[in-house]
Amino acid sequence: MNTFFNCKETWLHKTNPSLKLIILLCLFVFAITIHQLHFMILFTLVIALLFLFGTGYSYKHIFLLLIPFLFIFLSTSTSMILFGKGETTLFKWAYVHITKESLIRGIHIGCRALSFAMLSLTFALTTQPVKLFYSLMQQLKLSPKYAYTFMAAIRLIPIMIEELQTIRNAQKVRGVQGQRNLFKRMNILMIPLLSQSIRRAHRIAVAMEAKRFDASKKRTFFYEIGFSKFDIFFASYFLIMFTVAYLFSIHFHISRYRC
Amino acid sequence: MDTVSSLKNLRLKFPGEDGLLFKDLNLSFKKGEKVLLLGPSGCGKSTLLQVLSGIIPRSVEIPIKFDSIQIPDKWGFIFQDPETQFCMPYVDEEIAFVLENLQVPRHEMPSRIEELLNEVGLHLKDIHTPIQNLSGGMKQRLAIASVLALDPDVIFFDEPTSLIDESGTEQIWETVKKIGEDKTLIIVEHKIEQIIDFVNRTIVFTPDGEILADGDSFSIFSHYKEKLKQYGIWYPGAWSEYKKESSSIIESKQQTSLYLDNFKGYRNKELKISLGSTSVHSGEWIMVVGENGAGKSTLLLSLMQLIKSSGSYQINNLTIKKINDLYGLAYLVFQNPEYQFLTNSVYDEMTYGTEQNPENIAKAEEILTTFGLTGKEKHHPFQLSIGQKRKLSVASAFIQQPKVILLDEPTFGQDLINTFKMLEWLENKRQEGSMIIMVTHDSQILKHFATRVWEVKKGELVNDRKVSNCMWSKEERLYEHIF
Repeated sequence: MNTFFNCKETWLHKTNPSLKLIILLCLFVFAITIHQLHFMILFTLVIALLFLFGTGYSYKHIFLLLIPFLFIFLSTSTSMILFGKGETTLFKWAYVHITKESLIRGIHIGCRALSFAMLSLTFALTTQPVKLFYSLMQQLKLSPKYAYTFMAAIRLIPIMIEELQTIRNAQKVRGVQGQRNLFKRMNILMIPLLSQSIRRAHRIAVAMEAKRFDASKKRTFFYEIGFSKFDIFFASYFLIMFTVAYLFSIHFHISRYRC
Repeated sequence: MDTVSSLKNLRLKFPGEDGLLFKDLNLSFKKGEKVLLLGPSGCGKSTLLQVLSGIIPRSVEIPIKFDSIQIPDKWGFIFQDPETQFCMPYVDEEIAFVLENLQVPRHEMPSRIEELLNEVGLHLKDIHTPIQNLSGGMKQRLAIASVLALDPDVIFFDEPTSLIDESGTEQIWETVKKIGEDKTLIIVEHKIEQIIDFVNRTIVFTPDGEILADGDSFSIFSHYKEKLKQYGIWYPGAWSEYKKESSSIIESKQQTSLYLDNFKGYRNKELKISLGSTSVHSGEWIMVVGENGAGKSTLLLSLMQLIKSSGSYQINNLTIKKINDLYGLAYLVFQNPEYQFLTNSVYDEMTYGTEQNPENIAKAEEILTTFGLTGKEKHHPFQLSIGQKRKLSVASAFIQQPKVILLDEPTFGQDLINTFKMLEWLENKRQEGSMIIMVTHDSQILKHFATRVWEVKKGELVNDRKVSNCMWSKEERLYEHIF
């Protein structure tokens, strides 16, 4: 993913990818268990802080990436706010019925969606696929068979995108534009693309075995990925920030806004 | 001398096909031999290489039978397609992949990688370079470097230069000559001019997969030339013997003219090709030449209005603004024929977009006959052989009766018979009054067929000259730097 734009390498890039992945998954689960509105908002802020200032990308790019996710935030929260059930009415007009409960729940769900999005983006922006799979092989004992399959597949993605464009051009020359049936149009695009991809995948597999790739044998690693102080930073960042956030929300007795 | 690789009574059959590809084939190779395998397309040369290296049946499951086989202890394999023999995104990672497979300790890797890249003459500023930034010739040399990491005694080459331009081809063979001195090399290749002095044994296969001749290269090419010609195999001097049937320009019925004025092509708002002002007339065959990435294919795309363009562009006084204006006027044949197939049978392919009237059907059948595709009407286009696919893609261009035919290296990787045939069809079209604009890397085609040459350099048409056959001794030197 990080081949799209240039970026500065930050400490997040140096964090162990497997550890990053596991902590992330834990945070996903944790976010679902949060039922206090204020804690949820603070939780989102803690992640936003990391996302905005930690990834090393320019603010322009970060903002561009954030647009679709802000849209998700707005769409999930407004639908809940406007049409959700509740008792304490704040505003009512035709089908729109805003209650205190639906407002709280709407913001809560929006925050959840936004924090999921920012967590995944932070991961994608600061992790090289190759390093991730090397780390998965070394720390989590992922079988090299799957790791190298994925790495070879990632290499094929840009080739396929370019090819799709070429096929569309080639078909335009034959006068395909008139074709209105979407299914038929997909069909004639997908068949050459897939046939080409299957053939490519097969050839790569043969080439890999010709280079003595053997998933059952022991292997050495070009990138040795271990742990460093950055991993402690990463783990303690979330630990400390969330503890502070939690204490903060308890201290101000605002836990009554439960969802 | 020791035998490094041998086969006794090999039988092999492709699933779904009737006959055996090989029937009781015997072969053996001695240490240090440089062997060239020749044969018509589809005779099974590439399959044989895969059997000799053990890829069949270990990685590719095809039923085979043999009395005995000796697979070399240490071997490497260079494949045809430079895109599909790497599994990692960066140069250093790709070679490291091989070293990892061999369980080389990590601390030895960086120096080994440098060493291997030097051996094949790939001097990169930074070895952590994306593979996709390399040219075709460089990619193949990277493939050789990663194979050298295996420290092979025998290296198999499966048409390593058939998708590479001429300068790349030269680099590849130079590298092979340098690294191959003490190794056994078994090569399948049809662009043979550059390796003919280098191989010391040539084996010729018949279309049925039997050995026609086996011996030192010089005597093979002098004794079996007629057979090679008949099978459509390239042999040294094929071009110099080739005589065009008629080179006189017949006064054509239709007159077409194409005008460009300050014509420029853009991609993502970036100026990619600028053609300036020029005009082209009926009966001209323009060859577009230039280095890889100079903008030759972009030039064709812009003339076909597949990318944004500015300036004025007219064909027969009709202003061309978008691709729909070009229907029935111009047609671009892409390099990969599969991209342009739209239907499920060869016949439907030939009648696509035309009305189903007797006239069109007769025309379609006539074109299929000229292209030697009769009897294949019911086949799915994807089931055809690569040569037939290429023929079909050109044949389907003729259905629209284009006045301007644009082609992107239509003879790439074709055997002798198909190359000459394709060029003759185009020559016919030209004499009937079409204009042809074709990208090519082949100096021989340029020499025999071009009436005009466009040289493209860094996205600009820098040289535009008319040529005729008698001028070639002089011209040859002019274009030497390109090839």
